[in-house]
Amino acid sequence: MALGRAHSVAVTGVDGQLVEIEADIGRGLPAVHLVGLPDTALQEARDRIRAAVANSGEEWPDSKVILALSPATLPKVGSVYDLALVAAVLDAAKQVKRQRLRETVLLGELALDGRLRSVRGILPAVLAAKNAGWATVVVPVQSLPEAGLVGGVEVLGAHDLRAAIAWLREERDLEYPEPAQWVAQPVRADLSEVVGQVEARWAIEVAAAGAHHLMLTGPPGVGKTMLAQRLPGVLPPLTESESLEVTAIHSVAGLLPPERPLIDVPPFIAPHHTASVSALVGGGSGVAKPGAVSRAHRGVLFLDECAEIGTKVLEALRTPLEDGEVRIARRDGVARYPARFQLILAANPCPCAPAREADCVCAPTARRRYLGKLSGPLMDRVDLRVRMQAVATGAFIDDVGESTEDVRQRVAEARAAAGERWSDYGWRTNAEVPGPALRQKFRLARPALAPVERALRKGLITARGADRALRVAWTVSDLAGLDMPGPEQVVTALGFRDRSFQ
Amino acid sequence: MAWAYLSKVVQGPCPALSRLVEKVGPEEAARAVRERDLSEMLGERTVARAHVDTAAHDLELVAGMGGRLVTPDDDEWPQWRLLGFGNLSRSRDEGPPLALWVLGSRPVTELTDRAISIVGTRAASGYGEHVTAEISGDLAVDGWTIVSGAAFGVDGAAHRAALGVGGLTVAVLACGVDRAYPAGHARMLRQIAQNGAVISEYAPGTTPAKHRFLARNRLVASLSDGVVVVEAGWRSGARNTASWARKLGRPVMAVPGPVTSASSTGCNRMIREGEARLVANAGDVVEEAGPIGLREGLDVVRDLDALSGDALLVYEALPAVGARGVRELSELSGVAVEQVRAVLPLLEMEGFVGSDDTGWSRQK
Repeated sequence: MALGRAHSVAVTGVDGQLVEIEADIGRGLPAVHLVGLPDTALQEARDRIRAAVANSGEEWPDSKVILALSPATLPKVGSVYDLALVAAVLDAAKQVKRQRLRETVLLGELALDGRLRSVRGILPAVLAAKNAGWATVVVPVQSLPEAGLVGGVEVLGAHDLRAAIAWLREERDLEYPEPAQWVAQPVRADLSEVVGQVEARWAIEVAAAGAHHLMLTGPPGVGKTMLAQRLPGVLPPLTESESLEVTAIHSVAGLLPPERPLIDVPPFIAPHHTASVSALVGGGSGVAKPGAVSRAHRGVLFLDECAEIGTKVLEALRTPLEDGEVRIARRDGVARYPARFQLILAANPCPCAPAREADCVCAPTARRRYLGKLSGPLMDRVDLRVRMQAVATGAFIDDVGESTEDVRQRVAEARAAAGERWSDYGWRTNAEVPGPALRQKFRLARPALAPVERALRKGLITARGADRALRVAWTVSDLAGLDMPGPEQVVTALGFRDRSFQ
Repeated sequence: MAWAYLSKVVQGPCPALSRLVEKVGPEEAARAVRERDLSEMLGERTVARAHVDTAAHDLELVAGMGGRLVTPDDDEWPQWRLLGFGNLSRSRDEGPPLALWVLGSRPVTELTDRAISIVGTRAASGYGEHVTAEISGDLAVDGWTIVSGAAFGVDGAAHRAALGVGGLTVAVLACGVDRAYPAGHARMLRQIAQNGAVISEYAPGTTPAKHRFLARNRLVASLSDGVVVVEAGWRSGARNTASWARKLGRPVMAVPGPVTSASSTGCNRMIREGEARLVANAGDVVEEAGPIGLREGLDVVRDLDALSGDALLVYEALPAVGARGVRELSELSGVAVEQVRAVLPLLEMEGFVGSDDTGWSRQK
C-alpha cells in the first residue's frame, strides 16, 4: 500500500489550473487505472508512460496502479501530464526522493523511448504554476525558451525521463533557460512605402492613436492591404504583461516559433475571407482552441474582402468586439480567450470592382447588397470609415511619405495623453470610451459640437455616428497635442463618417 | 436709477412718457413724475404709483440675480428692433418699452440680431410640441435666437428645443424678471438666463396680469425677425402676437394643422385669411424671415464656426471641373493639410463639395 503524489497544470483556454496527481499502488492484477475525467489522449498515457518507464531503465510496479487526477471534476485534456504521472508512480514505489518532487510542477509528454516532448500551452501552464506559488517547474527542453519567459519561478528543462528522474533523485542538474537572446525582430513593412494615399495614411495614424476600428473601401490595387499591414508597426510595442498574454494565446494555439518565443510586437492576423466562425472566434471539438480574434489579441485583425465574408461569420465578431474576450463552450468545458483586437475591414466598393468607380457594371441592387451586409451592430463599432482614392495623377508618385518611426512617435504621444486622461475611468484608449461619457461628462464646448449637431440635423450621421465622430475628434486632438477637441478636430472627425447612406 | 424708478411707476408701455424722457432726459422726467409736474394725460397714468420709489432696491435685487437694467442710453439697447413702434398710432399701450430688465450675460442686441419668435397655444398637442421642437431646434442650430414667452405648451417646447441643441433663446415675461411665471418653468427660466436672456419691461415684483401678457406679446414680436405660430386656438394670445408682428412689419408664419384639431384652428384661419404664410420647417422660416438668399452662399459655414477664411480658400482652390486630393488642395490654397481636412467635411455637409474615388470636387 503505497501512495505517491506529483503536480501538473491543466490549461483551459489561457487559464491554467494546478492538478494534483496521486498514484496508488495496491493489491491486484497488474493494471493501470486512470481516474479524473481524462480525454482520449490522456487515457493513452497509460501505455505511453509504462513503455517510457521501461525504456528508461526503471521498474514499473508489478501490481495494480490507480492514478487519480484532481480536481476530479475538471476535464483533463492532452498529454502534458505524462511526466507528472510517471513521477507519482515512482514516488509511490519509493524510487525517487520526495524533497524535490513536493515543490515541483512537472510538464511534458513522454515518447515511448523516454524522450520528453513539447506540448502546447506551456507558457500559460508555467504562469499558472508561478501564480499558485510554486518554486520550480520542469518542462521539456524544447519548451525551455518559452517557459523561461516567465520570471519569478525556477524553470528547468529535461531532455528525457532519465534526466528528470535523476534530477528528482538529486543526482544531477537540469538545463536552465538561456538568457534571452533572440533573433532580431523581422523588419516590418514601412509606412513610407505607400505611394500617395495621404488621407488613408492619416487614417492609419488616427486608428493607431485611438485604437479605433477602421474600414477601408476602395478600388482594388489601391493599397488597402498594404496599408493595413503597416498598422502594427505604428502601434506602440506591447508591454511586458501584454506580451505574456499574447504569447500565452499563441502558445495554446501551438504557433510560437521556437527561436523567438516571446511576442512583443502587436500581432497582425489576416484570416482568409472564407474562414469559418470557428476559425475566426475559436472552436473545435473537445476543448475550444483559440481563433483568429484571440491570436490578434492586442494586435490587428485584418479582414480583407470583408464583403465576401459570410454574414454569420461577421456577426460572430460582435461579442469579442464588445467584451474583449470570447467564451466558447464545448463538450469538455468553457474556454475563455482574451480577444481585444483592433479590427481593420477592407472591401471593394462593389462586386465588379473596376479601377475607376465610374466603370462599374454592377446592377444597383448588387452594389447595395454588397456592402449592405456589413451594416448594423458590427459597423457601429467601426469608428473610422475611409474611402480610399485611386491615385489619379502622377503628381505625387515620387513623393516619399513619413516613415513608420515618425508616425509611431506621434501615436505614442497621443496614446499617452489619452491614457492619462481616461485613467480614472478605466479606459485606456479613446475607442473604449462609451458614448454617454462623450456626450455628458466630457461634453465639448458648444462651438465644437455645432458641426456634429448640424450633421445630425441634416441627417448625414446617426446618433451613434455622432458618438463616433466625437470619439475620433478626441484622437485627432490628441494627435494635434491639444487638451480638448475644437471645431476643427470635430469637423476632421466628421470626415471619417459613414458616407454610404447619403 | 431714474430709469428704474420710471419703469416701476409706469409699468408697461407709455409712449407719452417715452417722448418726455427723450426730450428732457430720465432724471428730469423722474423728477417731474415724482412731483406730479406733468400734463394731464401723463399724470393720470403715473399718479397712482408716483410715490412708490423702490428703484435702488430693484436694481440691487436684479443685480444679485445676475441681471441688469438696459435702457435706451445703453449700447445694447435694441434700437433697431424697436424702431417699428415709431410708426404706430401713438395710443396708449402701443409704444416701445421704457427700459428692459434683463437676466443673462449676453448683450440684447447680439441676442436679437438674428431671432425668430415661436409662439402658440399653452394647450399644445403632441403634434404641436413635436413641430415646435423641430423648427426651434433646427433654427437654433443654425444660429438663430429663439424668442418666446416661456408659457406652457408651444412656448416651453420652443425654449427647450433651443436649449437642447445648445442654442440661444430669449424668454420675454409679463411679470418682473425676479418671478418665475409659470412656476413650473422656474428651472427652465434659469437655464434660459444662462443660455440667452430672460427679459421683461416690468420692474421686479410686478405680478403677471392679462393686459401685461398682451403688452408682452408686442415685445416678443418686436425682438425678432419674424413670428411663427405653431398652434393657436380660435382665440389665442399667439394670434395677438401675430397681429403685433403685422403692425410692426414683421413676417408672420403659421404651421398648419389638422382641420379637425381645435388647437390648430387659429393657425389655419390665419393662413386662409392671408394673415400668415404657411411654413412647415425651419428652412421655410428662414426663407420667409431671413435675409434674402441666406440658404445659398457660404454664410452657413461661417455660422458654424470661425473657419470661413480657410473654407473659402479651399473652395476657391478647387477647379471648376475635375477633382483634387487633400494634399493638392493644401498646396493650391496655401492652407495647411490639417486645416484642409478640417474644412472639407464641413463644405461637403453644406453641399459645396463632394468626394468620390478620384478626390474632392465642386458641387456648386
